[in-house]
Amino acid sequence: MTWLLPSVLGIAAVAAIAAIALHFIARSRPLAEPLPTARFIPERPVHARARAIALTDVPLLLLRLAAVGAIGLAVAGPIFGSRGRIARIVVADRSRSVANLSEVRDSTRANLKSGDQLIVFDSAARRMSASALDSLSPGGARGSLSAALAAASGAAAAGLSQADSIELVFVSPLLDEEADEATAKIRAAWPGRIRIVSVGASAASTPSTRVEVTATPNDAVDAGLSLLGVKGSGGSIRVVRGRLSAADSAWVRADARVLVHWPAGAADAEWTPRRDVDAIGAVTSDGATLVARFPRVWVLQGNAIARWADGEPAAVEHAEGAGCIRDVGILIDQSSDVTLRIPFRHFVQVLLVPCGGARNTTHMNTAALAAFVGQSGLAPASALRDQASVASRWTPWLLAFGAALLVVELALRRSNVQRSIA
Amino acid sequence: MSAALSYGALLDAVRGVHWQARRAVTGAPAGTHHSKQRGTSAEFTEYRLYRQGDDPRRIDWRLLARSDRAYIRLATDRAVLPTTIVLDASASMAFPVATRAKWQTARDIAIGLAAVVHADGDPVGVAVHDERRTMRILPPRTRRGVVSEIARVIEGADPGGNESLAPTLINVRSPRIAIVTDLLGDADDLLRATRVHIVAGGEVHLVHVIAREEIDPPRRALLAADPEQPALQRILTDTTRRGYDDAFGDWRSEMARVWRASGASYVTVITDEPAPHAVRRIAEPQSFGALRQ
Repeated sequence: MTWLLPSVLGIAAVAAIAAIALHFIARSRPLAEPLPTARFIPERPVHARARAIALTDVPLLLLRLAAVGAIGLAVAGPIFGSRGRIARIVVADRSRSVANLSEVRDSTRANLKSGDQLIVFDSAARRMSASALDSLSPGGARGSLSAALAAASGAAAAGLSQADSIELVFVSPLLDEEADEATAKIRAAWPGRIRIVSVGASAASTPSTRVEVTATPNDAVDAGLSLLGVKGSGGSIRVVRGRLSAADSAWVRADARVLVHWPAGAADAEWTPRRDVDAIGAVTSDGATLVARFPRVWVLQGNAIARWADGEPAAVEHAEGAGCIRDVGILIDQSSDVTLRIPFRHFVQVLLVPCGGARNTTHMNTAALAAFVGQSGLAPASALRDQASVASRWTPWLLAFGAALLVVELALRRSNVQRSIA
Repeated sequence: MSAALSYGALLDAVRGVHWQARRAVTGAPAGTHHSKQRGTSAEFTEYRLYRQGDDPRRIDWRLLARSDRAYIRLATDRAVLPTTIVLDASASMAFPVATRAKWQTARDIAIGLAAVVHADGDPVGVAVHDERRTMRILPPRTRRGVVSEIARVIEGADPGGNESLAPTLINVRSPRIAIVTDLLGDADDLLRATRVHIVAGGEVHLVHVIAREEIDPPRRALLAADPEQPALQRILTDTTRRGYDDAFGDWRSEMARVWRASGASYVTVITDEPAPHAVRRIAEPQSFGALRQ
């Protein structure tokens, strides 16, 4: 048995001791005797004038102690669970880092018991039922250990109130690219060790540099890409300067391909329009910055891969099947020579990398892995439990019992007063 | 059980006591009290010159013969005085708890007064709250056994509650009312109703019953509670006793003053005074001039 608020038990104990002490003091007050002319006695505060040595009114005291105890227990919130029960959270990696998803499924299934929770992640994490494990599909995006850890903490806080300890199992190759700057801090918030079930990592593949371009003749971006020397058919990257077709969507979903949707005009995309269309002087990405006057006509949603000078996303990426689509909201003036300059070539290379950015298939180094695994024991459930969302099912009954005892105490006290007057 | 059996000693002790009206009563059947009306009884009062319309049979012919003037003999009429005894049966009358001395004293005085009134040939009745806290009024009667009937009504009452007596005083039609109470309930309302009754020509006798234990409470510290207001609790100690004595004494004096000023007869009875003695003091105050309170 555990308690949601064990400190309340101490408070209840103090209240019980105070009640006993008050019984010793209060009994020194004389019992009321009838006197019809009592109204002529000068009014003075009724104080105890003598201390009683013996504890009197024991039934009333016992009733009060029982009421205090019941209410204290109710607020402390007893949780009755099987003692020593270990709950498990299995986190399965389905990101692009995984070489073989079947291996992930098998390892996950081997570690998943009845009552355990399953979380799958790539760039985002979500809970999943164990029965849906067979339908687990590859994410294609870069994995995020931070998102997985956060989801595991949430699952532990909300859904595992009956367990004493929680074991966290990661089924993942744990590549360097899956950790970010927040990972170490989120990992430090998990109060126990993490068991790693290692699976094979996908091999580093040389990204195809051939880019298919669908554009009108004399298109500025097409010209820029030509200067970059990456144009060609049969590649895994396609740049569409008009509206996307169903064939484009099917093409990108079929494999880990990249579809860059870069409209030549405002009518070529159905993205959310900006309330106020304006112009801005620069756009930047990891590679370079383009300085020119660009109109802004859309508000883009997704993982930003290029931003306007004021920080607003100018190009975003979102997963589409096994691949991804990059929406580029940068309208290039067809008469401009911006795409012919060197900065454009650096800028556009960011848009042509594989989904999730450039691949990094190196495993986490030993120190980072040891920090991630940790050295303490299993995480105690009490440290992870969300006190606001977890409630003891005994609390309402104990509160009702305590309230009933208080009602009985009131009746007993009144009958004592009446008896003392009669 | 008849009153003679239960209250034999009391009834025997008050035999021969007469309770005269304090002033002449208005027209009523013939009785023992002086009437405001002048009639033809044998008790001569005065002569008056004959006036046109007088009954010629009432002319004193001998005086006419001697003085050659026509006079009429006038004589005082006697009338009965219906009396109702209003008995306070509130919780404060059941004091002290062990002996109920106040209630016993009030009850004996009520029955003793009823016996005196009945012996004078006057109708007598009683009004008292019964054990269901309902006011029971026995109208004034002169028949035999009325004292026993009154005793039964009083025996059926059990002191408790804090019902007011003032409404009863308004409903009682008797010219003479005797109120036996401790005045710890609705003294102000009772006084107002009394004034109305006196202004209407009636007379009121207030018998203020006080327990000896109220005048001299136990000489130990106690938490005193008013039986009619349990929430009213005061500590009586050596420190507060003097204040209590002063306040209670002042209140008794004030009660005596205002009740007498209203035109009522006011008598204080302490519970250790024998009831027959108290009855004599109430009915024949002229015999206790020095002891009159």
